[in-house]
Amino acid sequence: MMKRLFAGLAATVLAASAAWAADPVKIGYTIAKTGLFSNAAPSQITAYDLWAEQVNADGGLDVAGEKRPVELIQYDDESDPAKAAQLYERLITSDEVDLLLAPWGTPHHLNVAGVVERYGFPMVGNTAASVAIREVAPGNIWFPTSAIPDKIGPELAAMLKEAGVGSAAVIANVLPFAQENLQYLVPALEEAGIEVAMNESYPPDIKDMTPLLTQIKNSGADAVIALSYPADSFLYMGQARELGIDQPYQFLLVGPTIAAFNGAFGPAADGIITLGHWSPQQADWTKAQPFYDAYVAKYEMEPDYLDTALAYMSAEILQQAVAEAGLDHDALRSAIANGSFETINGTIEFDGVENAVTPTAFLQRQAGETHIVWPPAIATAPLKKR
Amino acid sequence: MNARAAWPVLVTLAGAVALWALGQAVGAYWQIVLLNVAMWIALTQSWSVFSGLTGYISLGHVVAYGIGAYVVVSGWGMLPLWLLVGLAGLASGLFGLLVAIPVLRVRGPYFVILTFGLAELVKYAVLNVETMLGKSSRLIFGAPGTETLLLAMAGLAAAATLLRHFVGISRFGRGLAAIREDETAAETIGVPITRFKVLAFALSVTLPGMVGGLMALRSTYFEVLQVFNPTISFTIVTMAIIGGNEDARGPILGVLFLVGLSEVLRSASPQLYLICLGLVLVGFVTYAPTGLLGLLHGRRARR
Repeated sequence: MMKRLFAGLAATVLAASAAWAADPVKIGYTIAKTGLFSNAAPSQITAYDLWAEQVNADGGLDVAGEKRPVELIQYDDESDPAKAAQLYERLITSDEVDLLLAPWGTPHHLNVAGVVERYGFPMVGNTAASVAIREVAPGNIWFPTSAIPDKIGPELAAMLKEAGVGSAAVIANVLPFAQENLQYLVPALEEAGIEVAMNESYPPDIKDMTPLLTQIKNSGADAVIALSYPADSFLYMGQARELGIDQPYQFLLVGPTIAAFNGAFGPAADGIITLGHWSPQQADWTKAQPFYDAYVAKYEMEPDYLDTALAYMSAEILQQAVAEAGLDHDALRSAIANGSFETINGTIEFDGVENAVTPTAFLQRQAGETHIVWPPAIATAPLKKR
Repeated sequence: MNARAAWPVLVTLAGAVALWALGQAVGAYWQIVLLNVAMWIALTQSWSVFSGLTGYISLGHVVAYGIGAYVVVSGWGMLPLWLLVGLAGLASGLFGLLVAIPVLRVRGPYFVILTFGLAELVKYAVLNVETMLGKSSRLIFGAPGTETLLLAMAGLAAAATLLRHFVGISRFGRGLAAIREDETAAETIGVPITRFKVLAFALSVTLPGMVGGLMALRSTYFEVLQVFNPTISFTIVTMAIIGGNEDARGPILGVLFLVGLSEVLRSASPQLYLICLGLVLVGFVTYAPTGLLGLLHGRRARR
C-alpha cells in the first residue's frame, strides 16, 4: 500500500517536473489579417505555422540545450503600422513573450523597430525592403532580404546588358517600393548603355493598362520593366497577352512569386522575370528542397518565393541563435549579430542590419519551375528569352 | 460666464485631465489605447459639429486628418512641433473653406458620395506630389513620446468637445439644426444657410487636421495611403451613430463603447470584431437610431 502511494507520488512529481520542463516558449507577432495588406498575410503566416509545427514535431525548440515546445501568439495589426507597434508593446509587456517574429511589410518593420529598440528585444525581420532600413539604428533588428532598391536597379541593368538588351520600356506604380526602385533603376540603365525608351508611372489602383501597353508595343524596346505591385502584375499579364506584347525580356517587380500567379497563368507565366533570391532548384542550399516539399505537402500550393521564404528564413535564424544563446536578450542579440546561419537560402550572416551574404538576385519561371537566373554565382539556370 | 455655461467646461477639462493622469498610471500599451480614445473623441466631436447638427453626412473627414499629417511630416525637423500642429489645423481649415462652397451645393446621398470622392482625390494628388518629389518613404526621427502626444491629444479632445457643446447650444447651432430638419423652411425663416454651412464645415475639419498632425508622429514611417485611409472616415461615422448626436456626450459614449469593444474582441478574434461591429451598427441604426445617448435618455424619461 505504502509502496504504491510512494510510486504514485513519485509519478506525480515526475509528471510535474516534466510539465515544468515542457513550459512552452511563447513567440509573438502581428500580421495584417484585415485591411489594405491582408492579401499578403497568408504567405507569412503559413511559413511561421509550418516552422512551429516542424519544431514541435522534432521535440521542441532547442533553448541552449533544453527542448521546449513553441507556442505562437498572433494579433491582427489591421494593416496599421502604428497599431503593430502598439501590439508589439503588448506582446512584450503584457503577454511577456519569450521571442518575437516579424510583421509584414516595410512600414510595419520600421515602426516596430522603435519598439524593439526601446525594450532591447532582438527580432529578426523579413519582409521589409527599402533603402530606409539602413537608417534604422542597428542592434535589435536585422533584415535578411537582399531585395533592396539601390542594388536591384544596378543588378537588373547588369543582367539585361549581359543579355544584349539595347533599350527598355519602364512603367512604375506610384507606391513607395516601386518608386524607390525607379529612382535607382533609370540611372543604372543609362549607365549600362541601355536606352530608356519609355518611363511612365501609373496609379496604384489601375484598372486598365491598355494605353501604357500600347505605348510599350510602339516603343520597340527589347525589354519591358514593370515596377508593379501584385494587383497590377496580374493586370499586366492578362492585358499584355491580349495586346500581343512580345518583348523577349519582361520583368515584373512584385507578384510573380505568389503561388496564385503561376496558378492563374500557368504556361503563360513562363519567361516572366521577377525579384527574388530563393529557389528550391539551388542544390547547394540543402534545406531548400525539403522546405519546398514540406510546404507543398502541408498547404497544397507553392510557397511565395519571396515572402514565405524570407519569413521561414527569419524563423530559422532565430531558432539557431536560440539554440546557441538561449532566451536572454543580450546573449541572443550578440548571437544573431555575430552568428552564421544555415537556412533554406544558404548561409546568412549580418553586417549591421543587413544580410551580408545573399546577393541581390532575379527569378524566372521556366517550364513550370522557378529558377534563379542572376547573378551567375547562385544561378540555377541561364536567363532565357520569352 | 454663468453656472450653466461653466459646468460643461469644468466637466470637460476634468475629463481631459483625468485621461492624461490615467495615462501616467498605466503601462505603455494602455497609454496608446488612451491616446486612441482621445483621438477618436476629437475626431468624432468635430465631425458632429457639422454632420451631427446639419445632417449632411460627411464620409470624407479623413481628408483633414491626412492633410494635417502631411503638413506636420513635411515640416518635421524644420519648425517646432506646436507651430506645425497649428499650421496643420490652419491648412485643413482653409481647405474646408475652399471646398465647402462647391461641395455643399449637393444634398443627401450625393453629398455623402462627393465627400468620399474628394478624400480619395486628395489622397492620390498627394501621392503623385510625393512621387514627383522622389519622396517614396519618409522616416520621422525624434518624435515626442506617447506621454506628450497624449497630453496634447487630451487637449484637442477637450477643445472639440467644448466646440461641439457650445456650437450646439448657440443660435448658430440652432440654425444648423433647422437646416437638418428642413433646409428650405430654414432659409424662409431667415437662417443664412450657405454662410452657416460653410462656417460649420470649416470648423468641423480644423481640429481633425491637428489630430492628424499629431498622430503622424506616432509612427516612425510616413505613408500617404495610411494617413488618408478611408477607414478613418467610416470609423468616425460609426462612432457618432452608435453614440448618438443629440449633444456632446454622444460621441464620447460612442468612442468609449467602440474602443472598449475592440479591446475586448481583438484578442478573441479579429475577424469576429469586424463582424460584431457590423451587427452592432445594424442594430443601432434599426432599433436605436438615436444611439447610446438616446437609449440613456429614453430610460430616464420612462422612470
